Formats: sequence, structure tokens, C-alpha cells
Amino acid sequence: MAELALQMSGIVKKYGGVSVLKNVDFSVKSGEIHALLGENGAGKTTLMNILGGVTPMDSGSVRLFDRMVNIHSPLDAQREGIAFIHQELNVINDLAVYENMFLGNELRNRFRRLDIARMCEETSKVFERMNVSIDPRAMMRDLDTSHKQIVEIAKSLLRSARLIIMDEPTTSLTQKEIDNVFAIMRNLTKTQGTTIIFISHKLGEVVEFCDSYTVLRNGEKVSDGSIVQEDGSKISQAEIARMMVGRDVLSEDVYQHRELGDVYYTVEDLCVGNDVKGVSFELRRGEILGITGLLGDGKDQLIRCLFGDLPKTSGHVYLDGQEVNIAHPAQGKKKGVGYLPPNRKENAIIKDLSVQGNLTIVNLEKCLQGIRISRRKERETVQRFKDRLSIKVHNFDHPITSLSGGNQQKVVLAKWLNADPQVMILANPTQGVDVGAKNEIYLEIMKLAQTGVGVIVTSGEAQEIIRTCDRALVMYHGELRGILNRDELTEENIMILATGGTLGEDKKER
Amino acid sequence: MQTTEVLTSKQKFKKFLGEYNILLVTLLMVVVSTCLKGFTFLSLNNIINIIRSNSVIGIIAFGMAFVIITGNIDLSVGAEMVAVAALSITVINLTNSAILGVLTAFVAGIAFSVITGVIITKGRVPSFIVTLGFQYIYRSVLTYALNGGGVTTKNDAYLAISSTEIFGVIPLQIVYFFVMALIYWYISKYTTLGRRIYAVGSNERAARLSGIKTDRIKIMAFVLLGIAIAVGAIAESSRMGSINSTSSGTSYELNAIAMVVIGGVAMEGGKGKLSNTVFGAFIFGMISNILTLVGINTKLVNAVKGAIIIIAVLLQRGNKNNN
Repeated sequence: MAELALQMSGIVKKYGGVSVLKNVDFSVKSGEIHALLGENGAGKTTLMNILGGVTPMDSGSVRLFDRMVNIHSPLDAQREGIAFIHQELNVINDLAVYENMFLGNELRNRFRRLDIARMCEETSKVFERMNVSIDPRAMMRDLDTSHKQIVEIAKSLLRSARLIIMDEPTTSLTQKEIDNVFAIMRNLTKTQGTTIIFISHKLGEVVEFCDSYTVLRNGEKVSDGSIVQEDGSKISQAEIARMMVGRDVLSEDVYQHRELGDVYYTVEDLCVGNDVKGVSFELRRGEILGITGLLGDGKDQLIRCLFGDLPKTSGHVYLDGQEVNIAHPAQGKKKGVGYLPPNRKENAIIKDLSVQGNLTIVNLEKCLQGIRISRRKERETVQRFKDRLSIKVHNFDHPITSLSGGNQQKVVLAKWLNADPQVMILANPTQGVDVGAKNEIYLEIMKLAQTGVGVIVTSGEAQEIIRTCDRALVMYHGELRGILNRDELTEENIMILATGGTLGEDKKER
Repeated sequence: MQTTEVLTSKQKFKKFLGEYNILLVTLLMVVVSTCLKGFTFLSLNNIINIIRSNSVIGIIAFGMAFVIITGNIDLSVGAEMVAVAALSITVINLTNSAILGVLTAFVAGIAFSVITGVIITKGRVPSFIVTLGFQYIYRSVLTYALNGGGVTTKNDAYLAISSTEIFGVIPLQIVYFFVMALIYWYISKYTTLGRRIYAVGSNERAARLSGIKTDRIKIMAFVLLGIAIAVGAIAESSRMGSINSTSSGTSYELNAIAMVVIGGVAMEGGKGKLSNTVFGAFIFGMISNILTLVGINTKLVNAVKGAIIIIAVLLQRGNKNNN
């Protein structure tokens, strides 16, 4: 284990006048899973892009397995045995597994025809080495996300990668799938001696699965070391988070006790196809209600229906005592329901509009002067929300995609706040948001509730629900399994209900 | 705390090129043409001629730009324009009222567009297919109804719509071109409809989840095109007082799309400026004029046009990478 697989020294990278990497040293031991950590904008991606040949560095050197290397292009990187697995899966759903594996490097027989038999055989061999069973002839679209991820890893092995870089590979996976991928990764490092660099925001995974870590902050290395410390105990998530942000965040209490208002929003016996089966609940003004559960629990369909993005099959919804029928998001908006959707990139970001255009899109009428959009009013709106949510943005006219994940999310939140919702539904509000910005978003949710808005937060992360919510609904296969009050909100109780269990008389209090 | 970026002079130049390249290309073409043919090209007559002969397609291109920005396309505009003009002239001949004829044109243009838009959005059929179908339908029904010929009117008021010349030199057709350019540019830049058209074209799902009625916005883009077609139909048919079921409006749809594309609107939607579509129309119009002046065989004009379209898109691709 002592041999170094990778040693990057004195890496400097500037964009314009801004230093993104300031003399960074980064080394990884052979055969380990090394976590590269840091907030968005800390320089992780730039560092890995340099290693992958995507971005050139200004100065510094890279030593790979005791040999100095010059990597100028992704092809160079591939030749050196470096594989880069990006956050978005790079698979083609309409092709078979083996076709994906050999895409661009297809094997041919002596008649120049595709040699399907041999490609399948080679694919099976790789899967065997990884100890997974996937049919090489299966269609890619029939695999679940974790298996697609595994095919990507297999692809890099097929190209004999010695060093695999994985950029947030688990964001779209369920817990079971994550365990699956990590088991494969661990197996690889043990049996093949493969080295893995792992970029993630999920500190739980890092502590559980990785061997060592490096933390970057503002383009500098703040710390590195082993996950298992000298005294044999594992480093805590809070400690890593502190190094990433520079202050204590995980233990910061965000929940504030509030007096709740009257019941404003009532849902009765709501059914959405086969996904939501007869859910009923009430929401008070100023209340933060969590909805959680495991994959396939139906919470996504439930809230999409509440906002009008999915039609309801049966049931009733009352707003302030009046029955409403919300059948289109435009009606949801009109009735004062706001919705921050999950998967920001697909569902919330309008990539060709500027920061300003994205922020005012929901309530553009507010910026009108006659029939004309007043640039001045638009500016004022954006400036107001920039101050209120401390959005880090240099120029409102820049594309929204130039902002970091956390700031993009704040813009999406701001566009709804600008519409003054009475009920605000937030789905995975901190998805793809780094640790520091996470807390800021929690605090905004608190502030929003304090102004009397009823807030619904859905999340698969129990901690998120526990830290913010007054009450939580736990769903299981489309049914409401139970409602937990704040004093009953523990990870254990949530897990019991989310897996279909029941809380007995001995309900555990926190 | 608004900070501006520090840009090197090279980056500034690149940024300038990226933003104004279409303007530069237009100027370059003017300069080259002037050098080649001097004042034959720069004469008022010639310039008026260029704009007038492209004004109808140009007007349609402004509407087409909105449709393409929403990520759709309309292949039926040429035939639709003929249908609208034929209806308009028929009404004039029946009622002897130019005003009713003009009204008919607008009602028909809007109605046809709404039908197209509704089938595309509610029926979830790709716009390429629906408008391809309508192209055949319009042409075929027109040829049948007019027996392969055309309709003609001698209504003086209607003929005056195009033939009137301001100060005795500038034909009104040119005025319509610039007025439509101004109105459509304003809509694209300063109205909620314009902003929403961009939003829908860029990310329809996100637009819908922002409470935008995306189907309605797409239909409205077709309505803007329908209005442009009506204006184009009036300008075209009032010039000669006639429209022909087989020879009028042929390849207008492709020429309009070419102007939009040269003007930098991306076929995948969400991107592009209406102001540049005006220059796209200029460039497109200048090509055949210059080639004729220089004395190149007119049969080769379309080859040059084709090359210009491809080069224009290649240049825009290059810009994207630089940013």
C-alpha cells in the first residue's frame, strides 16, 4: 500500500486573473479509495480535469506510478490508464451492454464484420473479475442506475485503467445501489490493485467506504490523511465538514421553535395512479412538514400532483377551507403553491436564460411596466433576492450555468419566493448543494416558515428531515405509513416506518 | 457588489466578434461588393431592390424565428402564404373592399397557425411532420380550387398597399419589413411572451414547472408566425394584384429558415436574437444580388447560398467553443 499511484505537485491554475488552484499537492496511494473533498468551487473538478487531460495546468508536475507524465488530452489520460467517470452517466440506453462496453473500439472478425461473440465474451470476463452478473446482451435501458454505473466502471477496466476518477457517482443512486457500487469498488482495489479517486458531497459514504481523504478549500489543500485515525477510530463527518467549510456546520442547529398558525392546506384521501394510495394530511400556516421514505414510496408523485404536474386519480385538496382542483402547474402557481423540483438541471434550470432571466421567470408580471418588461424593476428584484439569500453572483446577465450548484439552487428558490407562495413545496432542496450552502438553505426554509408560509420538504435523507421539520409523513409503497411529531423524529423511527414497520407502544422519543 | 470581469484585450476582441459577428459579416459583404462593383451596388436603387425583393420572405422569417426558438419548425409557410393571399383576394373580389380583404388575411393567418399549433402541442406530433403535411394540403387544395391557375384583383386600394412609394422612392413593402422587424424584436426582448418563448425552447420541463403554460406559448409562437405570414401575403399579392397556386411562394419556407439560421438562431431552440435575423435576411438577399452584379451564372446562386448557410452555422459553432 505504500507505493504512490499518483503524485501531483505544485499544481497552479488561473482563469483570467483568478487563481483556482494555488500550488496544490495531491497524492494517492496505490490500491486505495481516496476521497477528494471540498465545497463547490474549491477546485476539485479543475484538479481532476487537469489529471484527465481536459484542462491544461499553468504549472506543476504529475507523477503516475513513479513516472513523470505529460497529459495534454483525454486520450493521453486514457493511454496512461486513467479513467474518468463523470457525474452524468455516459451510457447509450438503446444499445446492448456489450455495445456500450466496446463503443468506439468495436472488435471485428477477419471479414471486418462485428465480432459480437467475442465482445460478449470479453464483457463477461470483466464482469466476472468484478464479481457481478450482468447479461452482456441485455439492453442498457433495462438496467437500474447502479448497474449502469457498474457498466461504466467495467468499461474503464476493459480499457485497462489503473486509476479511476469518479465524480459524484452516487447522487442518483438509492442506498442499496450505493452499497452495490461500493462493494464492487472495494473488490476492485483489493483484487486488481486499482486505485480510485472518489469525489462526493455525501460525507456519510466517505467515512464509511473510503481509505483516505484530501480536503481542498478555495484552491488550496487544507488537509489530508487516513479515514481511520491513529487511535483506530474513524474521523467524524463533522470534522471533515469543518475542514471543508472552515467552521462547524453539521452541529449548527438550524431548527427554531415557532408558534404554528391555523390549518391552511388539507389533503384528503389523495390517489395518484398506483403510486399514491389514499394519503391524507393537514398543513398549518408556518409549519414545516417533511415527507420521506425510500425509493418507490410515491412521495415524488404525491407532490407533483399537489402542484398540478400529475393528474390526481381521486381525493380532495382544500386551500384555506376551499376545495381546489389543480390540474396544471400554472394553476398551482395561481393558487399560491410553489414547487422547487428535484434534479435541478432537468427540471429547474433554464440554461439559455441569464441569472436574472431565471430568477424572474415565475412572476414576470411583477416586473412589467405596461406591456414592457422593465429592466430596472427586474434588476431591483434580482438585487433584493441576491441580498436576502446571499447569492454569490458577479453579473446578473451571465448564464445561470456559470453559478455553483448551491447558488443555482438559491436562484430557483428565489424565483418562487418572488411569486409569494402560501404553500411552498421543496423537493430535495439541498440536492447537489455543498455543505456550507446547505445550512444557508435550511435557514431560508426556517425564515420562510416564520413568515406564515406552509412548507413541505421532501427528502430521502433522514437527517435533512430531522434538522428542519416540525412533523414528518413517512411513506411506504404509496401509502402513508405514519406521521412523526418533532419529538418522535429520529432516524430509527423514520427507518422503521419507511421499511413498512409499525411503531409500537414503546415509540422511541428523542 | 457588482463586479465586472477583467478581460484581456484578446478576450475582449473575441467577445466582440462573438456578439457582433453577423453585423461584421454584413459589413464585410457590403465592403467587398462595393469594391467589386462600386456605386452600382451602393446605389439607392440597388439597395432598395435588394430589400424589397426579400421583404416578404424576411417578414415571414421574423415569425419563423420565434417558432424555431421554441424548438419547432414550420415547413408550410410558403403554401400557407399563398392560401392566405388567395382567400384575401377572393374576399376583395366578392366584396370590393380592400379592408375586408386585409382582415381576412389576418384571420386566416392566425386561424391556420392555431390549428397547426394545437395539433402539434395537444396531439404531440412533431412540428416537422404536421407542417410537412399541411404544405401538401395547402398546395393541393389551392391547385384544385384555382384549377392550377391564380386569382387576380384590380382593386386600386389593395394595389396601393404595396405600390405606394414614400418620397417617390421607398416602396411601402420595405416599410412593412422594418416595422415588422421592430415589432417582433420588441416582442422578443421586452415582453413576457418573448421571454417565455425562450424559456420554453431552452428547457420545456423547467418552464412548465415554473408555472408557464408551455403549450399555449408554443401556439402563440405559431400565431406570431401566422401574423407575419398574413403581412407577407398582403405585401406579396398586392404588389402584382395576383397570386398563383403553383408558382407563388415556392421554397419560401426554406429561404425563411435559411435567413433565421444565418441570423444565428439555433435549430435546437432557446437561443438566438431577432435583431440578427434582420441581418440574416440582408446577407441572404445580398448574395444573389452581388453574384448577378459580378456576372456569375444565376444557376449557381443557390450553390453559394447553400455554402453560406453551412459556413454561417460553422462560425457560430466556433464561437460557442471560445466562450
